[in-house]
Parts: sequence; structure tokens; C-alpha cells
Amino acid sequence: MGSSASLAAAPPPPVAPPPALPAGLAQVLPQKAEEKGNGKGAPEKVDWLDLPCPVPYEELQREALMSLKPELFEGLRFDFMKMLNQRFALSHSVFMGSMEVPSQSSDIIKVPSSHYEFGANFLDPKLMLIGRVLTDGRMNARVKCDLTDNLALKIHAQLTNEPHFSQGMFQFDYKGKDYRSQFQIGNNAFYGANYIQSVSPHLSFGGEIFWIGHQRKSGIGFAARYNTDKMVVTAQVASTGIVGLSYVQKISEKVSLASDFMYNQMSRDVSSTFGYDYILRQCRLRGKIDTNGVVGALLEERLNMGVTLLLSAEVDHVKKDYKFGFGLTVGE
Amino acid sequence: MASKISLKAKGKAVKGTEERSAEKCVKEWSNWAMKKAKVIAHYGFIPLVIIIGMNSEPKPHIYQLLSPV
Repeated sequence: MGSSASLAAAPPPPVAPPPALPAGLAQVLPQKAEEKGNGKGAPEKVDWLDLPCPVPYEELQREALMSLKPELFEGLRFDFMKMLNQRFALSHSVFMGSMEVPSQSSDIIKVPSSHYEFGANFLDPKLMLIGRVLTDGRMNARVKCDLTDNLALKIHAQLTNEPHFSQGMFQFDYKGKDYRSQFQIGNNAFYGANYIQSVSPHLSFGGEIFWIGHQRKSGIGFAARYNTDKMVVTAQVASTGIVGLSYVQKISEKVSLASDFMYNQMSRDVSSTFGYDYILRQCRLRGKIDTNGVVGALLEERLNMGVTLLLSAEVDHVKKDYKFGFGLTVGE
Repeated sequence: MASKISLKAKGKAVKGTEERSAEKCVKEWSNWAMKKAKVIAHYGFIPLVIIIGMNSEPKPHIYQLLSPV
């Protein structure tokens, strides 16, 4: 809510009368402020008791992730979404291509696979239900329910037919006036909590802790986010030894550039990514280049009303891995 | 005296095992409940979404579920 609205909206007027004043003063003060504004372009007065609500903790790096981590794929992808109703939709999705199997050695192992996925979505302002099931029996379910105006419950579950491979997570979100807090319970005795607070109209700080029961591991992390209409800077530090920084600059309505830096102290891994995001009338083009020698791009071109062509390419020069994919999305 | 203490000790041991078996019972029942809940969610979530969707306004027809138009 907070930062996407601020990036998309026009810059605020230079003068804003303070909102919560008794009627008598309100007659007098806006005139004074306008005089000041016309005279020197003075900065607007900050109402420290009325700060905006920050973005949710997991969406801290949302703008950077949108530009730098597009959904690249290899193979053929066909998605069809059929709206039966304003709120209810069915989706059919076919994928044929190679999926990468994680391997211990540096070789890339690709397994050709194909699947058909059926899904049903129900989107209501207060209740959102999304379910997807694949031909091999795996099911992905997401539920988001607004219990009250400020409290929301989110459930995310991935269920499989194989025993001990299923995962589930419950999240309780509480949204305050200028803060957000979240409590998570997951399977394998995972407990986590995070909190983010606005300290100024542009700056917010947050922290998170988690505890994994079975492995008796716990961690703590801190994050900060500074955003204006034109740019977003975020920083994250975690006790697992990861430091992440990101910077997104919006050059114009159509173009934004992003960069990201990550340092992992445990594995002494450093990587940096630079990317761009062009949102044009008929298409959306995102590209990125990495210090690991990976170059990737994703093009989504709207051919016609409701038909979108997808072209994806990812070239890893170091590991000599070339992935190209194409697809079609029909429906909204 | 000694017999009283030994009786008390036995009493505590019996209570201890009773508590432990109560805990085991609770664990077993909760495991069973989680397994059943997982199976119900696995098979029943998507039909639940479809039923809720078909009953929302404006009500879509059954043939719209199957036809691609």
C-alpha cells in the first residue's frame, strides 16, 4: 500500500495544511503556510503523529524484486484464466520444459518435465481463496481473510502425496496506525514474528525474529527502508550472516532502474545485480545483469485484448547454461 | 515409616506414568487430527473454493465450469 501508492502518485503539493486542528486555528494557519510556500518553497511541515502506514515487512524490497527477479522460465508455458464472475475464476496452465534439479556439484542437471495445473480463485475484498493442483498431486493453497479491519489471517500450504514433504504456514497480521506487526506459525515448529514502524514520512525501520524448533535454530534480523516518490532504498541485516541492500530509482513513469547487493558471511558469497524495468503501453520489458555472469530478460507483450505473449531468456555465461522460454497468457 | 515412604514413591511413580501417558495420548490424538486435516485440505480445498464461487453473486451456470468460452 504505502510505497506503491507513493511511486505511482504525482508529487504532493508543496504546502499541506495540518489536518487535525480546531476550526479557529485552521482559519488562520493555512494562509500563513501558503504565504511561506509561495515565498520560498519551504518543505511541508511533518505531522509526527500522523505518519503513513509502512509496507508489510515481507514486501520491503518489493520494487527491487519486481525488477530484478522476474519469473524467468525455460520451455513452453500456456496460461488460461477464465472469469466466471467478478470474483470467481478458474485457471488452466500447461508447462512443458526442463526443470532444474538442485545438485551438489557445480553441474546443472535438467530434467524434462511437463505438467497441467488447474486452479480456482475466489477474490472478495474480505476473503481471498486461491487453490492450485498439479497432475502429480501437489496442491498449493493460499487463504487470506480479514478478520477485522486491522487483523488479517493468511494461510499458505503446499501439500503433496509424499509424506513429510508438505508445508504449511499461518500468519497473523496486525496493521496499526503507523506500524505493522506479524506473527507466523509454520510446520516443523517454525515460529516467527516481525514488526515494522514508520519513523518519518519517508523512513521506516523494522525487525524480525524466528525460531525453528526441530533444529533449535533462531535468528534475528533488522531492516530499514527509505522511500520517496522517485526512489526506494532498503537495507537488511540478519543474524544468519546475510546483508542485503537495494536501490530503485524511478526515472520516469515508464522506466525504472534497480540495483541490489547481497553479502553472505557464512559462505563468503558476494553478488550484485543491476536491472531495468520498462512499462510501456503494449509491453513490459524487464532485464537484469548479475556479477555471477547471468544475464536475463523477460518480455510480456500484450498482443490483443486479453492475450499476452511471454518471451524469457536467461544466459549464464559462467556455467554455460542457456535457457529460453516462450509462452502465452489468455485471460486477465 | 519406610513402607509409607515407599508407598508415596510408588504413588508418585504411578502418577508420573499416568501423566506421561496422558501427554502421549494428547500427542497421538493431535497427530491423528493433523493427518486427517491434511488429507481433508488436500482433497477438499479446491472443491470448497468452487462451491463458494458458484454460490457468489451473480451466480454462474454449471456449464460455465467446463466450457472454455
